[in-house]
Amino acid sequence: MLLQQLITGISVGGIFALLATGYSLIYSLLDFSNWSHGEFAMVGAYVAIVFSNLLGLPFLVAAAAGVAGGAAISFLCERTTYRRIRSNGAPNMFLMIAAMGLSNVLQQAANLIFSGQYRSYAFRLPVTTIQIGNSYIGVLDIISLCITAVVLVLLIYIINKTKFGLNVRAIASNSYAARVLGVRVDRTIAMVFLLAGSLAGVAGVLYGMKYNVFPTMGNVGLKAFIASVIGGLGSVPGAIVGAVLLGIIETLVSAYISSSLRDFFSFALLIVLLLVKPSGLFGVDVQDKA
Amino acid sequence: MKKIVAILLVTVLVLALAACGTQPSGGGAPAPDKGASDTIKIGYVGDLTGPTALWGTAGKYGAEMAVKEINAAGGVLDGKMLELVPMDGKGEAADSVSAFKKLVEEHKIVAEIGTNFSSCNIPMASVADQVKVPIIGTAASNELVTIDESGKLHPYSFRMCFIDSYLGTVIGNYAYDNLKLEKAALFTIAGQTNSESVGKFIKDAFEGKGGKIVADEQGQEGDVDFRAQLTNIKKAEPDVIFIVMNDYAKTATFAKQARELGIKALMMGHDGWDSAQLAGEANGALEDCLYVSRIGFNSPEAKAFGEKIAKEYNIGMEAECLFGYDGVMWIVDAIKRAGSADPTAVRDALEGTDVFKGLIGTLVMDPKTHNPSMACAVYKCTGDAFNYVETIEAQK
Repeated sequence: MLLQQLITGISVGGIFALLATGYSLIYSLLDFSNWSHGEFAMVGAYVAIVFSNLLGLPFLVAAAAGVAGGAAISFLCERTTYRRIRSNGAPNMFLMIAAMGLSNVLQQAANLIFSGQYRSYAFRLPVTTIQIGNSYIGVLDIISLCITAVVLVLLIYIINKTKFGLNVRAIASNSYAARVLGVRVDRTIAMVFLLAGSLAGVAGVLYGMKYNVFPTMGNVGLKAFIASVIGGLGSVPGAIVGAVLLGIIETLVSAYISSSLRDFFSFALLIVLLLVKPSGLFGVDVQDKA
Repeated sequence: MKKIVAILLVTVLVLALAACGTQPSGGGAPAPDKGASDTIKIGYVGDLTGPTALWGTAGKYGAEMAVKEINAAGGVLDGKMLELVPMDGKGEAADSVSAFKKLVEEHKIVAEIGTNFSSCNIPMASVADQVKVPIIGTAASNELVTIDESGKLHPYSFRMCFIDSYLGTVIGNYAYDNLKLEKAALFTIAGQTNSESVGKFIKDAFEGKGGKIVADEQGQEGDVDFRAQLTNIKKAEPDVIFIVMNDYAKTATFAKQARELGIKALMMGHDGWDSAQLAGEANGALEDCLYVSRIGFNSPEAKAFGEKIAKEYNIGMEAECLFGYDGVMWIVDAIKRAGSADPTAVRDALEGTDVFKGLIGTLVMDPKTHNPSMACAVYKCTGDAFNYVETIEAQK
């Protein structure tokens, strides 16, 4: 049974990971937690709903549109809000407050447009499962984990092996120096928002397939944020490890202690970690962000 | 230029939001007090915008239809017209209470229908007693809706459904007696009044008959992943899992996750499963599973009415529309018997109801508890729908 709980934990953590890396990417560049990141996933999920259920397009097209939707809303928030605040020279706290506002606006807008109803994609995978010894894993979970893994490997490759990734790391390390050396800082930041938004879009579509689409689904972003703090804010690999760890912890607490204590454990862990090892498991210092 | 674009964008957004905000409300919510003497106002509180808006709006449509019929037939009390004033309670206790207060203070309603949630009607009952305007809960089945914690009757609070204990007991007995099941798992939502209370009565009845509850698991409001608890349930190897959740989408998710974990047990539920979308949403995971609830659309009159509403408002057939309709009809019946549209006289007439025959079936009122006794029905999932199987006669 423990193996079954671990499988569940990893599957829960996979979704956290897609979002947590987004938090980390933005944090590494701008030193603020983008509280509206969970809502980017929600927007992506609803875009996919519109394409699949209202326009009747094939699900793969709808899913791609969902990913694009997440990217677009993320990019739009950067261009219309965050960039303006930065160029005004306002403190980072302002970015965080703006992000909270955006999160609320997006959630309420979804509520107004789509109502609070739970919605599911017209496309439905049959409920099939694969048995491994005494444990089972759903086919949807396998697909979702594979997509997550591929996306995250791709992300790590982009950050570490491409010129764009080098620019990101340069800005994360010292944005002033990067600018002096010819890195186009605003452009790179906008690209990172696109990237983080598309990751959120992937998370939103997968989350919607597993658990339905609803306006408050972006609240899962809070868990992803905790995951990224556990891993070390600003570290992409840290965020992934933190997310899987958190997924497993939450599942084990629900199973063996009580589901009512699940959030208590998650947040207590966050507080303890901030007291004992504020830099997170992967202990990122300023030089190694992203 | 940028500024102009920004201003334009903001204007468009504000207009769009404003457009979304103004919902057509068939009965109309006109300026307070205007023409109060010519019309008799009936309030309706339901979730019109939240996650369970499917039910709240269906109830509203049903009530609207009843008002239309009464007015077309010449109104009540020598030609006075009825007017329905719907308000959004969002399925939340605080919002529902303030919606009800607003209906009483600003619209001077005679009586109020809704909500379908015990968690909303329990606080509304105390307010109703204070302002002396009767309220009629629809599917609000917790005992505390009509009787307070000290066992005293809320004189102004009524309901049109059987109480949690009644349905819970029927389900527990049916599983043991009729289905011959002996080992059961129970899943409820912590802190959700209806879920915990129905769960408790299922458990008491099932164990009272000699059955065994082998797993008693709980989830949290807002949970979407139940696999941790399901793994524990699987280990206990139950014959049946009682799923007492009030959200069809989550019940479907629960069932799918159970099947993904290789759980083959029968699943059973209560009236929280009453949704046309549940079977399809579960996508086969609830095949052959059962729930016990009201007779619903299984009488010819109810079926015809449901189809009429579905066609007119372009929605699925939701049983809540029957409550909305019957609520208005019951109030009209009380107004006629009282010969007055005074809230207190209407309350007395509601309490004095001997038998009310509505679309939801025959309702027999108990004046001591305001809890009607009613027969209920068993439904079974086949493909994309739950079908009526049999009626369980009223039990004491």
